Amino acid sequence: MTHMPQAESHGEHPPTTIREYVLIGIVLTVVTAVELWVSYSGMSFGLLVGVLMVLSAFKFAVVVAMFMHLRFENGLLWRLFSFGLILGTAIILALTALFWNDRTDIVGGVPANAAPGAAAPAKH
Amino acid sequence: MAAATHEPPPHVTEHHTTTGIDNRKMMMWIFLASECLFFGALISTYLIFQGESLVGPLPHEILNIPVTSASTFVLLMSSLTMVLAVYGAQHGRLGMMKLMLLATILLGLVFLGFQAYEFTSFVHEGLGLTTNQFGSSFYVLTGFHGTHVAVGVLYLTSMLLASQRRTGLGADRALHIDLAGLYWHFVDIVWIVIFTIIYLIPH
Amino acid sequence: MATALGAMTHTQEDTGLWSWLTTVDHKRIGAVYTVAGFLFFLLGGFEAVMVRTQLAVPNGTVLDADRYNQFFTMHALTMIFLGVMPMGAGFFNYFIPLHVGARDVAFPRLNALSLWIFLSGGILLNSSFFLGGAPNGGWFGYAPLSSIEYAKSSGMTFYVVGLLVLGLSSLMASLNFAVTIINMRAPGMSMMRLPVFIWMVLVVAFLLILSLPVLTVGLLQLYFDRVWGTSFFSPSTGGDPILWQHIFWIFGHPEVYVLILPSMGIVSEVLPVMSKKPLFGYSAIVFAGAAIGVLGFGVWAHHMFTTGLGPVPQVVFSASTMAIGVPTGIKIFNWLGTMYGGNIRFVTATYFSVGFIALFTIGGISGVMHASPPVDGHHQDSYFVVAHIHYVLFGGAIMGIFSGFYYWFPKMSGRLLDEALGKLNFWTMFVGMNLTFFPMHFLGLAGMPRRIYTYDAGMGWDTWNMVATIGSYILAIGVLVFVVNVIKTMRKEPDAGNDPWGGATLEWAIPSPPPAHNFDVVPEVRDRDPLWYNRDHGIAPTPVPEHNHIHMPPPSYFPLIVALGVLLIAVGALSTLAIVGLGAVVSVYGIWGWALEPTD
Repeated sequence: MTHMPQAESHGEHPPTTIREYVLIGIVLTVVTAVELWVSYSGMSFGLLVGVLMVLSAFKFAVVVAMFMHLRFENGLLWRLFSFGLILGTAIILALTALFWNDRTDIVGGVPANAAPGAAAPAKH
Repeated sequence: MAAATHEPPPHVTEHHTTTGIDNRKMMMWIFLASECLFFGALISTYLIFQGESLVGPLPHEILNIPVTSASTFVLLMSSLTMVLAVYGAQHGRLGMMKLMLLATILLGLVFLGFQAYEFTSFVHEGLGLTTNQFGSSFYVLTGFHGTHVAVGVLYLTSMLLASQRRTGLGADRALHIDLAGLYWHFVDIVWIVIFTIIYLIPH
Repeated sequence: MATALGAMTHTQEDTGLWSWLTTVDHKRIGAVYTVAGFLFFLLGGFEAVMVRTQLAVPNGTVLDADRYNQFFTMHALTMIFLGVMPMGAGFFNYFIPLHVGARDVAFPRLNALSLWIFLSGGILLNSSFFLGGAPNGGWFGYAPLSSIEYAKSSGMTFYVVGLLVLGLSSLMASLNFAVTIINMRAPGMSMMRLPVFIWMVLVVAFLLILSLPVLTVGLLQLYFDRVWGTSFFSPSTGGDPILWQHIFWIFGHPEVYVLILPSMGIVSEVLPVMSKKPLFGYSAIVFAGAAIGVLGFGVWAHHMFTTGLGPVPQVVFSASTMAIGVPTGIKIFNWLGTMYGGNIRFVTATYFSVGFIALFTIGGISGVMHASPPVDGHHQDSYFVVAHIHYVLFGGAIMGIFSGFYYWFPKMSGRLLDEALGKLNFWTMFVGMNLTFFPMHFLGLAGMPRRIYTYDAGMGWDTWNMVATIGSYILAIGVLVFVVNVIKTMRKEPDAGNDPWGGATLEWAIPSPPPAHNFDVVPEVRDRDPLWYNRDHGIAPTPVPEHNHIHMPPPSYFPLIVALGVLLIAVGALSTLAIVGLGAVVSVYGIWGWALEPTD
């Protein structure tokens, strides 16, 4: 192959330097450590879930934008990927909402799978 | 294109695309969009079966967060080595590319080793695939993630082997390594989500 | 059909079996898809006729209960996954590059791999008839009818593995088509100049790309349930059969649009050409198609109104389902507006397109009826639903595909199908279809449940069942008339020329059948209807350069090897792990060889 791809996008490369990549790696590690701390911190459940979601979304976004260099790419690629990302997230939210609010297995206020007198289903 | 000949060389038309994005790169991103739905469905199943186990062991009795944090760190570092391999390929630093590919492969194997250790120790503690709903949904979700890591290790190994040939990876070297990198990073970001949902959020 | 295959590519020098097995030419692959899809369509039709024969009279004895279950399940699986989708894929393969002005698809070898994996999956699924019984739990395989307790034969395992294999094929084909459409367009072919057929293919490709992985997860979980003893869908140990329904329909409803959108695209190509005027409201029809695609992901639970979703989800899914009627209605008016005031040529392709509009509208309206949960509670699992899906899928999808056959057969073979036989073909199919499926509305409202293998006399169902059965025989004769037409047409000399219809899209400017490289010179597109624009503005075709060196990808046998590996993995999943390992080795070898094979 004598042809050198010049104008095509794969002939270019993101402007990130090695130093910046290593810095990003350190940031990701620090955020993971913070996540661990949050997990053990004993803060209220709602707050904890919220904080963890924000932190992991941040890590997710950093890897996609910088390591997968999506922020330096043609915007079309982001749109194509976002179809799956948005739909996948929506399906997780829809299904959990449908099942966690499901009242069909509750007969007379008692979950159908709770044995009489048992405090929790797992304590059979 | 470079030389203004009276007749364009035949492969110009092959490389030319409407959007300027390489066909292979576009396909990889659409494939990753598809994978979002694959893991979305698996994660949904895991979440739906939370609290539906009729017998133990339950997640909080068995999950070993320190060990998994270590394996998470390993996978995160493999993303760093991967991106450095891509950097090497893009800047013509082939030694760096091969070394970082090797490092990524080894880190991937370490992650798989952690997973094998985790699975066997869980089985010893009484959590089998069919023990309860937690076991089934946990093993299937993390197992298919592990399968993706294993496929990634094979993918990167084939890249490393191919780069050792006399012709190397050819003119599209940077693109080949970049595509492998996209896949590898995706497997990493899926783990970011799985780690948060299964391990970090207490039940 | 073998003659059809040969003639569709008769300009190519290489015609031996090996050249077909190693081909990467999208036209050859499209031809094999079409012919294989049609043969499976005949098989699925045979199964339907057997089902109708069993139900012709009360207490029928043609099929026993178990065989009946296998036949109606395989009828649906064959028609959906092995008939309609591959016939659609045949058109996609053949016409995407021709319509967008490319010499081939983006990934020719991947295209071949999709074909061989599809054929493997089709044969695997049907081999179950001889290996302990075919799938018998319905095409949506509801738990617990799919569980090992209630479906002890290996049929439902074949269902799982077969659909996984077919899904892999569809996923790869869809990735290929999406990239080809977005990225391989000729100069001037902007997205809003794409033929509507191509737009619909693009929507279909994304529907499959985004819904197949969800089905894959459900099938894998079902495989774990059946083979390794988990209980994802078995309530006795904490699992949930309703989860399967959600997962299946998150795939299954987009799948319905996968079946119908290609036919909408075909009709949108046929009607403007036969009415000799441009499509009415191009952007409206494109956006309506895209809107159907987006909304199609938000309506799945309308299949599940009777499972006790609760009031809020019922309202949400009911509203989204009714909303999807809006873009569908827009399309109907687009087609009517296209024909209005046009100089319409009533050839067979037009007949089928107009038949499509009429019958699909009936199916669409009964669809809006059971978008309402209280009404749906009455229709659920009755013959009313059977009538609805067949008006949409036979009256819609199949009528559209037949319109495409009559419209594009000249391009694919160089020969015009016989018009007299064509009209006979249309009228027998049209009458047979309505006689078969319209009475099912009455049967459903009279309380006849679907999927019962027989019924007692005196339920008030006798007459309409007999009518439906007679209708199905007429329908079958109609399809056979088409076969006769094809055989007769293939025996005559090519008579179509480049452009028998005065078409507007790029494929009509090149010979029939097209040469391997499609276009001597990649065309420049100046309008939505490029050929009409060039005709009206007196633009002559670009002269072919003297030394026109066109480089086409060489044939490859690696797709065949990878497909063999996939088939072995599937066979191993049904029998023993050792074969899975062998299949994995063969696949890896095939992929390695593929990657190192020179393509220049």
